[in-house]
Amino acid sequence: MNMFWHEMKANQRSSLLWTLTLMVLISVFFSMFPTFSKEVDSLRKALEGFPDALLRSLNFDVNNFSSILGFYAYVFAYISLCGAIQASSLGIGILSKETREKTADFLLTKPVTRQQVITAKLCAAFSSILLTNIGFIVAATTMAHIVKNNPLNETIFFMISISLFFIQLIFLAVGALAATIISKIKSVLPYSLAIVFLFFIISMFASSTGDDKLRYLTPFQYFDALSIIKQEGYDLTFVLLSIVVIACSLTASYVLYLKKDIHAV
Amino acid sequence: MSVIEVNGLTKMYGRTKGIENVSFSVEEGEIFGFIGPNGAGKSTTIRTLLSLIYPTSGSASIFGKDCMKHAPEIKKEIGYLPSEVFYYDNMKVIDLLNYSASFYKKDCSHRIQELADRMDLDLKKKIDDLSFGNKKKVGIVQGLLHSPKLIILDEPTSGLDPLMQQTFFELLKEENQKGATILFSSHILSEVQRLCDRVAIIKEGSLIKVEKISTLKENNYKKFKIETKTKIDPNVFSKAGIKELKTEGNVISFLFKGNLNPILKEIASLDVNNLWIEEPDLEEIFMHFYQRES
Repeated sequence: MNMFWHEMKANQRSSLLWTLTLMVLISVFFSMFPTFSKEVDSLRKALEGFPDALLRSLNFDVNNFSSILGFYAYVFAYISLCGAIQASSLGIGILSKETREKTADFLLTKPVTRQQVITAKLCAAFSSILLTNIGFIVAATTMAHIVKNNPLNETIFFMISISLFFIQLIFLAVGALAATIISKIKSVLPYSLAIVFLFFIISMFASSTGDDKLRYLTPFQYFDALSIIKQEGYDLTFVLLSIVVIACSLTASYVLYLKKDIHAV
Repeated sequence: MSVIEVNGLTKMYGRTKGIENVSFSVEEGEIFGFIGPNGAGKSTTIRTLLSLIYPTSGSASIFGKDCMKHAPEIKKEIGYLPSEVFYYDNMKVIDLLNYSASFYKKDCSHRIQELADRMDLDLKKKIDDLSFGNKKKVGIVQGLLHSPKLIILDEPTSGLDPLMQQTFFELLKEENQKGATILFSSHILSEVQRLCDRVAIIKEGSLIKVEKISTLKENNYKKFKIETKTKIDPNVFSKAGIKELKTEGNVISFLFKGNLNPILKEIASLDVNNLWIEEPDLEEIFMHFYQRES
């Protein structure tokens, strides 16, 4: 448990910052909702000149803006983008810390197995993300209730909100895997941004072309908010796919972390 | 009982050789030196013992238990100090040491205080603000705070001023008297001579020799360099025990092993301008002792 608390403490500040960022972001988005929903007609006119492909890639359908769920679905793409950056940074950061700070000689000569080390680290990362999501859901739900124009479908709203958690878990696992594969990580952010934006761009591409096959390639599409509204639930294939991606990434991370040689600095 | 037992340990980094077929054992209560030039394989051997890296073949055991299979159990009783120490920069010294102590199921707070006092280490400072030498002190305290039965030191003296080195060696001797076994790797012969009972000499990944320091000292050559006012016949020094005799103008240099008195009398009879008598450095030990054997 000492390693778990050590990691929690080490990540305390950045987790808090990310949580606040997400809370502020969703609050700002929702505070714009009343204006958007009132002005749907004029907005529609304004957007007529825009190319169709662009609007599709941004998932921009004006009709959605009249309901709070539709509006939520639209802004959620940016929430999950932020969340993904947080999660992948956390995954890469927490497992590459011993290489970056050259503290492997300290930690790995302690009477613990490497399995215990990586487990403690991943549990700490998981907990940070869990706390972030609690903060986010509280903020999102509160704001939605303040600005709603019609009764809110709580179940669907919650299903969309909690999908942030699932997307973050995927990116956490992928980040952890990246940290164990790339042996010399000096700084976390370039790698995490590269991973996140790669998938985000694929996701935009998938939306604009409507290519269903591309959806399998990017976690940003696994919990598509508009589909959740339409189907009133998750798409089981993508739920399973998420589980497979997380399980494979984590297994590979464990294997690599346990086997690698820790060289002198 | 052997505390460390290394058997045919080999580590390849891809195709390059780290160490090859290294075997030796360290007895309980011994201070065992591990000496060789940089890149000879000292750290590779030590890191394998600590299961930081995994051997290509061969085996190693500590306290009679396999280093790979029983690593966590073994490490409860090991204190390790690397040549370069790095810790979590934004932690305070005391927090780092407490974190370190939390891995061992015993109360180390008293020992931390005691060691910090001895090493003159400020516990309240941030790691980030410490100088290299002070970080090293943190490393020493960190390695000794749980009173380990085996202390493994990998070129530990770099960055310590002579006074601190003295204190550090005293600490090690005390630990040794309390029963701790010490494995001390270094490329500085004098510090190994000062501290160790036996020494293993490693070169280019292979163990050349394991020898008692006392034997090594008996075999020890002295380096003589004599500058005279006038040119002299170098044959004055063509005695038994003299090697590598060289003359350059008025300067004669040679290596000597044996009773010093006759040679000093010989020198006294010369018109000497300047005189150097030096211990050969490690490089020369390698050259003159082991070139023939390898």
